[in-house]
This record gives sequence, structure tokens and C-alpha cells, in this order.
Amino acid sequence: MTIRPETPSKALAALLAALLLAACGGGGDGAPAGGDAGTADAGASAPHRGGRMVTAYSTDIVSVNELLTRSSVINSEIIRRILLPLVDETPGLEELEPRLAESWEFSDDRRTLTFHLRPGVEWSDGTPVTADDVAFTYDAWTSPEVAWEDANALDEVERVEVIDPHTVAFHFATPYSTQILDVAAGAVILPRHAWSALPFSEWRTNGDWFLDHLVVNGPFRLVSWKPQDEVVLERNPSYYEEGVPYLDQFIMRVVPEQANQLTQLLSGEADFVAQLSPDDVNRVEESDTARIETHWTRGYIAIGWNCTRPPLDDPAVRRALTLGIDRQTLVDSIWGPYARVIASPVPPDLWAHNGDVEPLPYDPTQASELLAAAGWEDGDGDGVRERDGTPLVVEVITNSGNRQREDAMVLMQEQLRRIGVDLEPQVLEFNTMVERAYERDFDGVLSGWTIPTTFDFRYSFHSAEIDGNNFIGYSNPQVDTLLEDVRAAPTLADAGPLLARLQEIVHRDQPYTFLWQSKRLMGVSNRLHGVRANHLGSYYELRYWWLEPEEGR
Amino acid sequence: MSRYLLRRLAASLLLVWVVVSLTFVLVHAAPGSPVRVLGGQAGGAAEQERRLERIYGLDRPLHEQYLDWLASVARGDWGASLATGRPVARMIGEALPNTLLLAVAATCVEYAVALPLGIWAARRQGKPADHLIRAGSLLLYSVPIFWLGLMAILVFAFLWPVLPPGHMTSPGAGAASLPARLLDVGLHLLLPALVMGVVLAGSTLRFVRNGLLDVLGQDYIRTARAKGLSEGRVVRVHALRNALVPIVQLLGLTLPTLLNGVVVAEVVFSWPGVGRVMIQALNSRDYPVILATTTLAAVLVIAGNLAADLAHAAVDPRLRRRTA
Repeated sequence: MTIRPETPSKALAALLAALLLAACGGGGDGAPAGGDAGTADAGASAPHRGGRMVTAYSTDIVSVNELLTRSSVINSEIIRRILLPLVDETPGLEELEPRLAESWEFSDDRRTLTFHLRPGVEWSDGTPVTADDVAFTYDAWTSPEVAWEDANALDEVERVEVIDPHTVAFHFATPYSTQILDVAAGAVILPRHAWSALPFSEWRTNGDWFLDHLVVNGPFRLVSWKPQDEVVLERNPSYYEEGVPYLDQFIMRVVPEQANQLTQLLSGEADFVAQLSPDDVNRVEESDTARIETHWTRGYIAIGWNCTRPPLDDPAVRRALTLGIDRQTLVDSIWGPYARVIASPVPPDLWAHNGDVEPLPYDPTQASELLAAAGWEDGDGDGVRERDGTPLVVEVITNSGNRQREDAMVLMQEQLRRIGVDLEPQVLEFNTMVERAYERDFDGVLSGWTIPTTFDFRYSFHSAEIDGNNFIGYSNPQVDTLLEDVRAAPTLADAGPLLARLQEIVHRDQPYTFLWQSKRLMGVSNRLHGVRANHLGSYYELRYWWLEPEEGR
Repeated sequence: MSRYLLRRLAASLLLVWVVVSLTFVLVHAAPGSPVRVLGGQAGGAAEQERRLERIYGLDRPLHEQYLDWLASVARGDWGASLATGRPVARMIGEALPNTLLLAVAATCVEYAVALPLGIWAARRQGKPADHLIRAGSLLLYSVPIFWLGLMAILVFAFLWPVLPPGHMTSPGAGAASLPARLLDVGLHLLLPALVMGVVLAGSTLRFVRNGLLDVLGQDYIRTARAKGLSEGRVVRVHALRNALVPIVQLLGLTLPTLLNGVVVAEVVFSWPGVGRVMIQALNSRDYPVILATTTLAAVLVIAGNLAADLAHAAVDPRLRRRTA
């Protein structure tokens, strides 16, 4: 590992000179002209062992104990490199990859799920990984004092039974479709011998303790964490898989300003930037240090309408709004080739997608008819429809700092104006927006939703969750039943037809105007190969990524 | 003098207490909370929030939380971050030296630029050099640190890559020897300190120039010149000493500007200082950290002003007599 050579004396001499700044941020408003930049990784030969990969990310990790953190993507990505779950999901979502668990089977009544642990796996201090670790982790997951965010996933588990050091069984109250995902893929297994020393009641107030008592079993181990600065990982010599990871070191540097992330990528200081914006694509493609790689994100951007507040409680009005928004133009202007219009919460690249549910067309005429039929006419000729003296004003809130959403607001305002709807954009600070969303103080919320790999959409669409994540207040008994049936199905694959029907009904009711699904645009150094990032994670299978050796080394 | 000092100290403590209490109220009144479930998939969000509120004591009446917090601070316990579970004092303690380093370096640059140029401009009042310097200072004063920082990184770390693009150290620099690490930090300090210092110098420069011009117009200066002293001696021995008095005050008064600038510089240059801790805490409504950093900022500003006033009294004999 060498530090990049600098020449400070030249810099000092020239600093006082006046500077003409060339080629500053090509940030145009237009969409990138280039075609789909796919994976330009042809010509890479066999993986080279060694090297240090540097990635620039905008926020720091929060804790090495993932049970204590609030939905931090980078945090779980880093933890997944040093700690292992029982199984890993795969990009197609139909298969699971054995990790700490080598194999598993259900009992005949499917109420018992038994995992056989991979023998010979050790923690970094030499202690073997055993079923006791799994049992301890389950206790942590479900402890009310630890208060893990996703503890509800384990509601159906009655108890965990350690059968022998390498066999552990989960006993369920009732079988359902995502048993394996819920107990084995959702979180990593924790070291009982190291972490049981601290009582659960003290977990939330002792973040540093876990750092001081960290032992790992993943492909990498933690070398250092300088808060607000960088996380340094290096190859874990006691990792069970032979020959990997290829990288010697992986460094995540915190770069809060996105413009700087791009600069670092282009200058070679960073080898990987997980999230660029469409405006950055051209500059990367024109450079000879980096390239763009993409993958579809497992989420969507949509406007959630407040289904409890007139006139948005009327599905016809919501339908009219969707018809009155030219979503293809939104996508073309803002994303170019890097996003697509979607019609439902399951986008085309996922197996449960219902291909028969087509996005509503852009049809301002039909939209106008629907609105008129609902009693909304522009009596006073000011361009905005009224009904009983109330103008059709729709306030849509969104969070600041997201250029694509803000641009979309402006375009939609113009489009809806043409059908006599006054869309009032309200760009709010993130926490404030979340607050108003949960209080149902909005007409519409423009936000992003992630699709769970369990396809458990109860939390978005079930009427019982109206005080929770179904804050748009959507309530349809048919949908409630479908959601419960999906969960109760024997396997997720069996729930396919149910999910298809769900998409049909949601499309008909239009509680959301689904806007787009976008691609993750990643800046990748031309020396970096084997990048397997996908919707499961930006650093997915980092152990197989590798760097070409630098010139002259 | 000591009665004056005690009175000022008491007033300062009171002021810090007012600022911090106000922050407490505002931060709890702001929309959003540290336990709001932000992810969009988990079920039982409301339950989870209530559970966390109970664990963190956020469901207690506000005055109870307030008194509790005051009491623990009096014991020296700043609590644990709601976001990371780490001790707040340590989070700030890690970052504070980095911020101080940057602030001091920037201030050195600021005065290294403002003093000579200000004096030079004052001595050549009305001449082209003076006009040029004044125009330059206005330009610097108007430039946002944010923009200048981004441009500086673009130019010196990318187009003509001679300096690092931010951060305080090179990637993974922990392993190197101490001299190597010191050099590394010094190199990384150059750009942010220069950018900040130069922007801050914009206003300080004018202050120095105008202050010196003021003094140069006084009777005792005319006397000194009449006595036959060289212009250089007049400026150095008689004028500067008096012109520097308000500069001392300026240091204290511009402390808030410096702190503001440091926060911005830390974001632009990815510098791991207290500003970054503060911003992250604000974004996640991390009450204990917000309160601790606000207290720190308040103490720094108020102490800075107090020190400036005391230094002023020490330097200006007129003040000393009045307050004895």
C-alpha cells in the first residue's frame, strides 16, 4: 500500500496566480445523450489478488452492531462484509446461497425449520461459530430492550432450539411464505461469546463497546473506523472460503459533497462511487479513468395520495391525476435511458411482476373528462377547476436535496396545469417531510419506496397499517385479504398469482401514481473488475471484486 | 478588575445557559424525532417508535427531560448519542482537535493575508494599489467558501493534481510513521485553510486598512511626523500599536463567522470535524449531540468575546482605569 505522491512546492508557487476555471461540472439540465452504458468490463482477464479499493460515500456508518441503527444502507453494507448471515439472497430472488448455514430443511408440517451450520467456520479470535451464536442472535433480535427495527419479522417464531453445536431449529406458530427469509437472510449472526457479556438493556447506550469487543467471520475484518472520515477493512485470514477476497484492503471514505465524489472518481483517488446522478454520466464516460455501470434499483418513485382526504379519496380523481401526468416525458427529461415508467409496485425486472398491468397512458382529454364528471369545472376561467367554490389545489410534499424529485415536481406542475389542476410543490427537510407523512398532513407525498424481497406489501397497503407505513390511508378489504393470503401461502412462489392480482387492483385504485423505477448509476474505476453490484447491495459479493495492479508496481 | 471579571463571567455563564435552554426547547419542538422509523418496509412502526421513546426517556414530560439533562451535564455526563449509542463527549472530543486545527490554520492565513495587505493599502491610500486591494477584498468577501472550495478542489486536485481532494489524511494512513502522518495532515490542511483564510481575509483586510487609516489621521501621528521620525517608524511604533487594539476585539467578534466557515469547509473538504458531527446530529434529530455541540459553540463564542474584551482592557490603558 503506497501513498499517492504529491508535489507540494509547485502548488504553493502557483496558488496566488489567477485561475481560469475550465470544464466546471458539465451539469446541464438535459438528459444524457449516451445509450445504455451497461457493463463495459469486457477484456478483463483473471482476477488479480491484492490491491486497495477506495470508495467514496456520502454518510458515515453508525455502528458495528446493525441492530442499533436506523435504516442505514451503508451501515448494513459494511457489516455484511465482516459478519455473515445464515443465508444470502441472490439477485433473481428465487434462490438462496448458503453462508453460515450449509443446508436446511422443513419438517413435514413446515412448522420447524432446521439449519445445519457449516463446520469449521471460526470467529476471528479462533472461537468456533456454533448454534449457540444463532440462539443468542435470535434473543437479541427479539429483545424489547434492544428494540431492533425489524423485530416484527420474527413474530411467528415461537422458539429457537439448539440441537447440537452445528444444528439449530426455528419453531414457528404457523407456516407461511417467507419463513426462511425472515429468520436467515434478514440480519447477520452475532458472536455470543463476545457480545453476551453486555446485558441487552445496555446495548443502546454503549455503541463503542461493540467496537471494542468486535470479532468477525466474514471475508473482511475491521482495521479501523475514524468517525466522519473512513472505515478501513482488510482481508480476513480466517474466512472460510478459499482464495477470496481478492482485495487486500477496502476503504470507505466519507465524502459528504456529491460533486467531490465525482472529482475523486475522475482523479483516481476513489475507485468506486455507488451513486451518481444522470448529469455526471457524460463526464465519466468521457474520462479514461472510469466507466459507468448500472443496475435496476429495487424500488420506485411514486406520489402517494392521501386517500382519506377529499377530493383524493375518489379513485376517479386519482386516476385523472395519473392520466394527466406525462410520465414518459418526466423520465426522458430527468433520467434519459436510466429509468422507466412503471405501473405497479413490482417492476418488470422482478419475478413477481404482472406484465398484464400496463401503465396508464398520458391522456389529458380523458383526465379532464374524469375531473368534470366528478364535478370539477373551471367556472371562473382562471385555469384552475373548482367545485362548490373550492379550487382544485393539490399540495405535494417531497424532501429537499433530491434533484430528480424536485425537477419532477416542476414538470408535473406544468403538466397538471393543462388539465386545470393546481399542483403546489412543497420541498421540505427530510425529517419534516417524514413527520407530515406520518401525520397524514398532505395531499400527496412524492417519495421513494423500497420493495421488500419478501414481497410483504402489508406495510404499504394493508388497512391495519394506516397509522404506520400505509400513511396514505389506503383501505381496500380485497387487498387486505390478498396481502394476508400472500403471507399465508406455503412458499413465495405459490403467492405469484396473488401478487399479480394485487398489482391489478392497486393499479385500478391508483392510491399511488407510480412514476418511475430508476437505475443505480455507479462510477467504476477502469482498474476495478468483477463488480457484482445489484439491487441487493452496492457492494454485493465484494469478495469477488478485484483491482488491476497499478502501473509500475 | 477582578470584580469586573467576576461580573462578566457570571453574565457569560448565564448567557450560555439561556442559549442552551433555548436550543433544548427548539430542538424538541422541531418536526421529526430521533426515533421516527424512516425505512419504508418494516411493520409495526408506531410500536417501534413508542418502544424506543420509552428506552430513551423521550416519552417523559419536557421539563423532566430538561432537568435530567442539566443534572447529568452538571455531573460531566453528556450522555450517549441516540443515533450511534456512542458517548457524546467522545464523539465531540474526537472531532474537536480537527476543527481547532483547521480554524487556527485558517485564522493564521486570514491574518497573514489581511495584515500586510491592509497596512500596505492604508499606506498607499488613494493610489492604484489601494484600489486594487480594496476591490480584491470585496471579491473575496463575496465569494462563498463553499463555491471557492469546490473550485479549488477541482483545480488543485483534479485538473492540476498537486493537492489532495479533501479529507485530513490519505486513505488508510493510520499505519505510517509519525513524521509521515504529520506531513500528510499538513498537506491536507493546505487547501481548506487557504480557502477559508482567504475568504475571511476579505473583510478583515478592510478592517485593518480602515483602522490604520483612522489612526494615521490622529494628532499624535502628525506630532510624530513633525518630530522627524521616518514614516516606517511612525507606522510601526506609533500607529500600529493603536490600530491593533480593535483587531484584538475583532478576533473575538468574528468567532461566530469563523465557526460558520469551518462547518462549511468541513463539508466541502470532507474534513472530519465538529461541524460534520453537528450536521449529522441535526439530520437525525440526535438531541444529546445537538445540545452538546450547541453548548460547545455557545461557550466558544461567548468565551471568545469575553477574552477579546479582557484583552482589549489589558491593551488599552484607558479602559483599565475606568474599570478598576
